[in-house]
Amino acid sequence: MTTTTIRARERKSENNQIVTYLIVGGAIIFVMMIFGILMLLAQGGALDVSPAAFYQFLTIHGTGMIGAAALAAASVMWYFLREYVDLSKKIFIANLVLFLIGVVMVIVGVFSFEYASSWTFLYPLPALSGGAWGTIGALLYLFGMLILGVGFLLLFIDTGRAIIKKYGSLGKGLGWDVISGKKSEEDAPPKAVIASTMVTIVNVTALLAGATVLIMNIINVINPAFTFDPLLAKNLTYAFGHIFANSIIYMAVIAVYEILPRYANRPWKANKVFLIAWTMSTVFTLLIYTHHMLMDSVMPTWMLIMGQALSYANGLPVLIVTAYGALMIVYRSGIKWDVASGLIFISMFGWVVGVVPAIIDATIVVNHVMHNTKWVPGHFHMYMALGACAMLFGFMYFLAKEDSAIKPNLLDKIGLIGFTLGVLSLSGSFLVSGALSTPRRWATHIPEWMGPALFGAVAGVLMTISLAIFIIHFIRYVRERDYVPRDEEGKKIA
Amino acid sequence: MIQTVAWVVSLIFMTLIAVVFGVVALKSQGRRDYEPIKKKWYKARSFYAITLVIVMLAVTIYTLRDLPYNQPVYSEGQEPTVVDVEALQFGWDISQTEFKVGEPIEFDVTSKDVNHGFGIYDEDMNLLAQTQAMPEYTNTVYITFDEPGTYEILCLEYCGLAHHIMTATIEVTE
Repeated sequence: MTTTTIRARERKSENNQIVTYLIVGGAIIFVMMIFGILMLLAQGGALDVSPAAFYQFLTIHGTGMIGAAALAAASVMWYFLREYVDLSKKIFIANLVLFLIGVVMVIVGVFSFEYASSWTFLYPLPALSGGAWGTIGALLYLFGMLILGVGFLLLFIDTGRAIIKKYGSLGKGLGWDVISGKKSEEDAPPKAVIASTMVTIVNVTALLAGATVLIMNIINVINPAFTFDPLLAKNLTYAFGHIFANSIIYMAVIAVYEILPRYANRPWKANKVFLIAWTMSTVFTLLIYTHHMLMDSVMPTWMLIMGQALSYANGLPVLIVTAYGALMIVYRSGIKWDVASGLIFISMFGWVVGVVPAIIDATIVVNHVMHNTKWVPGHFHMYMALGACAMLFGFMYFLAKEDSAIKPNLLDKIGLIGFTLGVLSLSGSFLVSGALSTPRRWATHIPEWMGPALFGAVAGVLMTISLAIFIIHFIRYVRERDYVPRDEEGKKIA
Repeated sequence: MIQTVAWVVSLIFMTLIAVVFGVVALKSQGRRDYEPIKKKWYKARSFYAITLVIVMLAVTIYTLRDLPYNQPVYSEGQEPTVVDVEALQFGWDISQTEFKVGEPIEFDVTSKDVNHGFGIYDEDMNLLAQTQAMPEYTNTVYITFDEPGTYEILCLEYCGLAHHIMTATIEVTE
């Protein structure tokens, strides 16, 4: 058996894990979309859902969406990063196993034991439910989240280990030796390594913060006599939630860096500006979670001002470097448009366009009348669904193209258009609701707030149908990939 | 109204971004050499980046001048009416609920149990101001009502299954 044959087999086997990650992620996102539609229908007065069921949907929707998107995004990062560093396949599988265990615990906690704290589980809500749920439900959810978090923590410790082993340090993974002039731009790390280093740094921090507040909540649920500082808990919760949710886009964007240049047949190398932008993103992502606490005047004012100022600044790397670079790569390139390249291009639009209402909401005087209104899901559905998820789905089409003879058909193109219009309509309806002061996370709406909710539900249906098309394409690929003739490197023979 | 400004500004910039992406997509074909494109658009990027930074700095400085955390400047000798607010699942304990138009008010907001949000809505259900209600801490929000009427207090932080019915009213008279 030749070395190349062994490598080809290993590659095929590793792609199996990637495929499993993507199927699990895609399927959960699909189901979570249905919960989203049900919530909007209930808010729009078209569906009778009890408050208990509504808030269970709310809890599972937020937790499931972020968890599933993070899982799928981690597989994108792993797929490209393994080209440059030596990653542990065992850890990759362990993360998936722990994720599935965590998901089962969360589902049982929410639906069998009626646990509904929303994903924020703001202390001391898990223990003080007003009689709505008990200790078992809370512990299943909190321990489920903890197990899920441990899996991701292991994964990012492994990516950090592998990057340090290859490049010497995480600083070098971010290209600080190039920024300082010790090395030339030609020797800068690949973009997948730079982004993975950033994600490793921020997510290890986020997951440690999350684990801390989860454990504190668990102890409080078991023994209510044990209490801790609610403001500290809130800081830890948002440090965890903000960073972890944002890391999804920073993992998924590796697909843009890797796929777009191949389609456009143009190089997209890391230069000093690119490296500085990613270092900025690393620092800002760690610090700007305080923009979730702008309505807590007991917070030190400097932290809140920092929350606004750095949230603005955090828009600069994507606006000036990543999105601008993507536009340059595409402009007059003769790029071959298909569903993969289309989704990847749209994803950059989704990210950038979502940054606008996000930055506006991070302005303290605006947040004073927008915080916890539907303006917030308005902006994050743009950059998470049309940004991060489009990157993930674009990667799924890319993988299918790389790894099989399956070709996208007219239905897939309709899916691309439907998804784009669906997300824009849904986000638009949320933003209108926010401008109308509609509170978020409310089981019922007054008649004035119902119209946009119903419109959003219809848009959600369009998104869900589109995702079903994407998933069907991916399943077709999974079924047929074994029958594609390959060379010894494992690449398909055209 | 701030909400309208936020919506209009968002729409303008989002439309601008859509136009830029649309134009680039339309001009994606007809392959040209990349080097001249890079040279030209890197130069343009410097201008774009500087403009963006200046605009962001200007907006930051402008919007940070007057923060809702600080007590507004009242006319000489005028002190705000201090109102104690305690949130609890699922209601509001407010020390005073009747006010006069033009009366400066300071709501000192805390919670007896979990986190809540203290949102003040006018009769048209526009959100006028808010702060968080947190156990063990007291957040402050200042407001002076310009119009008489019945104002609503809505909970703006998810607090449990009756979160959406956790409301109260305050009366403002001439």
